[in-house]
Amino acid sequence: MPRLPWVIKYRPKRVDDVVNQSEAKAVALKWIKSWVAGNPVKKAALFNGPPGCGKTSLVEALANEFGYELIEMNASDYRRATDIERIAKVAATQRGLTGRGKLILLDEVDGLSRLADEGAIQAILDLIKITKNPVVMTANNAWEQKLKPIRDASLMVNFRRLTKTDVKRVLRRICELERIQCDEDAINFIAERAEGDLRSAINDLEAVAEGFGRVTLKICKAVLRYRDRVYAPYEVVRKIFISKYAWQARQAASQTDLSPDELMQWINENLPLQITDPEDLWRAYEKLSRADVFFGRIVRSGSWDLLPYAIELMTAGVALSIVNDPKARYKWVKYQFPQKILLMSRTKEMRQLRERVAEVIGRHILASKRKVKNDVLPYIKIIFDRNPEYAARLAAGLNLDEHMIKYLSPQNAATISKMAAEIWRETAKEALKKHAQPAKEVREEARLPEEQQGIKGGVAEKKLRRRKKRKEIKGKGLDAFFKK
Amino acid sequence: MFVKERNMPHLLFAGPPGTGKTTAAHALAHDLYGEDYRMYMLELNASDERGIDVIRTKVKEFARSKLPANIPFKIVLLDEADNMTADAQQALRRLMEMYVEVTRFILIANYPSKIIEPIQSRCAVFRFVPLKKEDVIARLKWICDQEKVKCDEDALEAIYEISEGDMRRSINILQSSAALGEVTVANVYKVVGLAHPREVREMIRTALQGNFLKARDMLRNLMATYGLSGTDIVKQMHREIFSSELDIPEPARIDIADYIGEIQFRIVEGADDEIQLNTLLARIAMLGKSLRRKQK
Repeated sequence: MPRLPWVIKYRPKRVDDVVNQSEAKAVALKWIKSWVAGNPVKKAALFNGPPGCGKTSLVEALANEFGYELIEMNASDYRRATDIERIAKVAATQRGLTGRGKLILLDEVDGLSRLADEGAIQAILDLIKITKNPVVMTANNAWEQKLKPIRDASLMVNFRRLTKTDVKRVLRRICELERIQCDEDAINFIAERAEGDLRSAINDLEAVAEGFGRVTLKICKAVLRYRDRVYAPYEVVRKIFISKYAWQARQAASQTDLSPDELMQWINENLPLQITDPEDLWRAYEKLSRADVFFGRIVRSGSWDLLPYAIELMTAGVALSIVNDPKARYKWVKYQFPQKILLMSRTKEMRQLRERVAEVIGRHILASKRKVKNDVLPYIKIIFDRNPEYAARLAAGLNLDEHMIKYLSPQNAATISKMAAEIWRETAKEALKKHAQPAKEVREEARLPEEQQGIKGGVAEKKLRRRKKRKEIKGKGLDAFFKK
Repeated sequence: MFVKERNMPHLLFAGPPGTGKTTAAHALAHDLYGEDYRMYMLELNASDERGIDVIRTKVKEFARSKLPANIPFKIVLLDEADNMTADAQQALRRLMEMYVEVTRFILIANYPSKIIEPIQSRCAVFRFVPLKKEDVIARLKWICDQEKVKCDEDALEAIYEISEGDMRRSINILQSSAALGEVTVANVYKVVGLAHPREVREMIRTALQGNFLKARDMLRNLMATYGLSGTDIVKQMHREIFSSELDIPEPARIDIADYIGEIQFRIVEGADDEIQLNTLLARIAMLGKSLRRKQK
């Protein structure tokens, strides 16, 4: 039997077991009892509260205690109105085969606003109108404008953020049941970082206990680096790699609030750390590559209903590629934050500079930025690295600023900038002399500063050259045409 | 001829890079309108946004605007037109018909087959051929004279061989070599080596040796420092895979080339270049392992 993650293993079975939240429990109990009695005040309830405070747990406990069959839909299951209509309406209007009533859970409805079309909200409202079974929705932030119609149609049940004491109590109990040696200051550390999110605290505890067999402050500090997710990303990654069955990997993917493409970056980053057998690695990458192709199609066509295929390929597809070296999946690996995401922010400035340099040069040589980046920049860089004097003349002629010069040659930037400034000063002197000339010419000079002032830098000269070349080549072009 | 008559049809300039297509278009406009020719010309290249919306707004606005008294027509210059989507080209075709009285289009493309038929049939097509060796060398020599740079005949020949008749590339190489002192064969090869990162070959070699993680780091470095796109790298890898510097059995070269083609296709289809290239490196690493096994 597959081992259950602790968050599932220790999920409360009864309403009483749900930690704290006495007010929310009271409201919810009264509501569900009105359903059992057959005269519900409101047909739907909206459980609102921060991540990991017990919303879903309370729904499950309610279903369990009052004998409802739980029909659950995750945000990833309903991105379009038709999904909701198809699945939920059926569930809401029919009694189950067992004769038991159903409890419909629409998880994370606030995710809708950013994911899907407006149609989804209307579909939920329709569902509430026609349902013959209790409907519970959960949200981290139910106060979004878009959710107003849903708020109006449901009973609001507000959950509080759990206190550190609440979290610590649960962690200690799990350690006892799992017979894990656990230091009090480590428990304190985990509870502190969780910020009231019990689910992430349990996941953290499991990650450390699983990997090291004991839980000390030192290990916690070393291992638990990321804190801004409901489910720590490295945990999800580990769960995906460790999966032996497709459903495990898929489930793991649903237990994160990383966006699917972020999750793909996490898998991309850590895949070669976990899998070392070349054949397994290629098989896994082949699946990831296919997943990425689906992402490309999703982005370009907006068809979000392709998303499940991408997710299955990048989770289950990757996990089940481990064939030659099956033990590799259990290897303990210190997972890395995706370099791509780090690099993107770190190199943002550099990329913008590159674009600007390419634009300036492109204007001068009549080529697109793409052509400049591919064909021209490598050569310009050589000049800037090897011949500062020549580079300075180019820089002055092209009117490059200090940052651009630094981009082209970090080591020579200071020298080149100084020399270019020198050239500028001399050009300015010459311009000053020209002030004696008729006003019309001065105006023209003002309009074409680059060309006029670039004389020293050779731009005017180059322009002349280019013009001559143009004519000649044009001749050739026409010749070629007539020869044809 | 067009200049003398002050009239011309829509034009399509097609041919390999560096043969003077863009230059010819600018020269033509310059000869038609004089020094301020850019006032009468709308110029859009691949750096500019030119999807269907831009064609319908910006280009249309320009194409239908009133004609200044002194000129016969305005020009819309679409450089790298083969990068435009088919939709945008369809929209363009309508404009070419509607405003032909006041606006002429010059389209520039490496691959005329990527320009939709109806546009091709509305244009006079000019095929630009790769420049002849003696023309390129004469040109390079002339530049060297102007710039008072010493150059060897052998070096200029080497430049021509490397750039395959691409004038832009030739002049780039010439200028960088000159910046190293003088234009000699040694300097030319040095420049080309520096500009076309050996890292690509090294990356393939590292993957073949089975060090996937290091190869991936090299890939990231190429993308970050050189700013190369996934397609650029795939194309360079394709060139390298047939290099004698890499010790691979001949049939394996074809297998890899096949897979490189597949990956290039997926880069176009997909969302993340690096993932596709990692897949390629993983495939090469796997090949490396099976080659080593055979040797034993």
